[in-house]
Amino acid sequence: MESIVFGIGITALAGALATVAGAAENTESDIGSQGDPNSQVQLAPQMGYIHRIFNKAVAGEPPAYGLWIALGAGIAWAFMAMQINPILAIVLGSGLAVFVQGVYATTAYLGRTASLAKFGQPVYVDILKSMTTVTMAHAFVAIFTTVTLCHLINAALGHPFPLPLLGIVWGIALGAAGSATGNPFYGKERQYQNQKFGAGVPIAASGNIVRYAEAGERNSLDNGWFSAKLGGPASGVCFGLIVFLELWRTVLFEQVGAGWGAIIIGIIIILVFTVIDRYIEVWARKNYGPYQKPTEEASS
Amino acid sequence: MSAVAAKPTAGSAVDMTAMIIGLIILLLVIAATYFVFGSGLAFMALIGIIIGGVLIGFGVHFVPVGGAPAAMGQAPGIATGVAMLAAGAGLAGLFGGAWAAQTTDNLYVIVITGAVGGGLMMAITCMFVTFIYVFGMGIPCASGKVLKDPITGDTQPEFKSQGTEGHGLPFVSYVGGVIGGLFGGAGGTLIYLMLLDLYKEELPGMMNALPGQVLPIAVTLAGMFAIGMFLVNAVLAAYNITGTIEGPHDPKFKRFPRAIVASAVASAVCGIVAIMIVAL
Repeated sequence: MESIVFGIGITALAGALATVAGAAENTESDIGSQGDPNSQVQLAPQMGYIHRIFNKAVAGEPPAYGLWIALGAGIAWAFMAMQINPILAIVLGSGLAVFVQGVYATTAYLGRTASLAKFGQPVYVDILKSMTTVTMAHAFVAIFTTVTLCHLINAALGHPFPLPLLGIVWGIALGAAGSATGNPFYGKERQYQNQKFGAGVPIAASGNIVRYAEAGERNSLDNGWFSAKLGGPASGVCFGLIVFLELWRTVLFEQVGAGWGAIIIGIIIILVFTVIDRYIEVWARKNYGPYQKPTEEASS
Repeated sequence: MSAVAAKPTAGSAVDMTAMIIGLIILLLVIAATYFVFGSGLAFMALIGIIIGGVLIGFGVHFVPVGGAPAAMGQAPGIATGVAMLAAGAGLAGLFGGAWAAQTTDNLYVIVITGAVGGGLMMAITCMFVTFIYVFGMGIPCASGKVLKDPITGDTQPEFKSQGTEGHGLPFVSYVGGVIGGLFGGAGGTLIYLMLLDLYKEELPGMMNALPGQVLPIAVTLAGMFAIGMFLVNAVLAAYNITGTIEGPHDPKFKRFPRAIVASAVASAVCGIVAIMIVAL
């Protein structure tokens, strides 16, 4: 009984850590403008729209986070093998991984922006100075929480994979969940805030991203502020649920029915999410209705 | 033929010569394994690896991936890369399967646990994609490839925004995502399990150590090879899809036979390397 209570406690803690990780990951990728929406940041100057948005598509988010978290986990694992306290080892490992992320962010911004020189896009040194550190800070939160949850899964719940391997598995899953959930919110809702709400961006409008803020020019910190309101938390809840439910079904039901218990519970959870998805889809069709062409504004 | 006159390739046509060459390589690798190692554990491991790789390559075709256009609501699907999303789901499945392999020896239970892990990851992710589109951006789901959702029968074109190819995840794409996760998780777990059994058997003799001592090494090696082979097969399938796919109802889905042959050959070649490090 005690072991089950302990397992559930660790599961809840891992789920909470994953929620924080997902939110930090998405906010980091939006401030750094990583992932698919960055195609528009790269495209805008080519269409004549010079901007002050950070531009660091190091790689897609899943492989990038796979690298950083495996790196953090690997270094932490090495420190732990040297009998260093796990918390200190994880902090040191995450810190070193964040420096790698910072180097990638800097070189990506300089390289990608310099490649746009022939379209007149300047490299803003103040952007580099003020935003790289902010992405690094968010990346630290994401890496630290994910490495910690991997350590909990390995040390407390007894998963057979060593820490670096768990790091790469959950790093790629973190990037996949974060980019799937958070990218549309940053790409459509923030970069194309000038387009009609409730409709996709017409392909003809590609590259015409919003470049001005309430005061002065918009930069990526404004984008982080915006996506932290929904895209970040939604990514966090998504990754948190993935980690929590995966651990929960294993910890509680693995012993039931010689392993079939966890399978049946997993299938039930999949069916529950299918029903929720279908409900949301039908709700949107009923309440929003079919697409209507925008009527011409009455011109005086 | 000049480059201008050349017809665009990468269509759905199957190149028979390439398929036959692929199948010959596959048979050669299988035959070589049989003659060198016999019909023992190593041969069974290779067969398992090939089946696992085919499951992954086939499963990736189900995953609705919209890439960059999906991030702007310009195309349906999930706004990330094919290989990456499939890897995220498949590795989550591998995680579950590897855990189950610790407590049971039943192959079916372990592989199905891995499959359900991948499906679970995709179910939650796809649900959140719909959630963000509907509640964050006010956009209902609409497919650009079919007039009616093959599962629910919902009509699609009238919900599509002007100037886009559709947006969000229609229900058939959601189901495709979950099926893709199931296949990916099962394939990754099968590869892991096959290699783990082989390494547990061979490593003690090779390293002159007790089975308990080599277990962490066997688990690590099998896990690393499983992740590597997963990525190989996911990337191969992504090349076959070329860009975006809406799910099983997309015309691009019909290209899967090419990916199955390619995955089988790639898995056989990778598999024999993974087997040779202990069995030779």
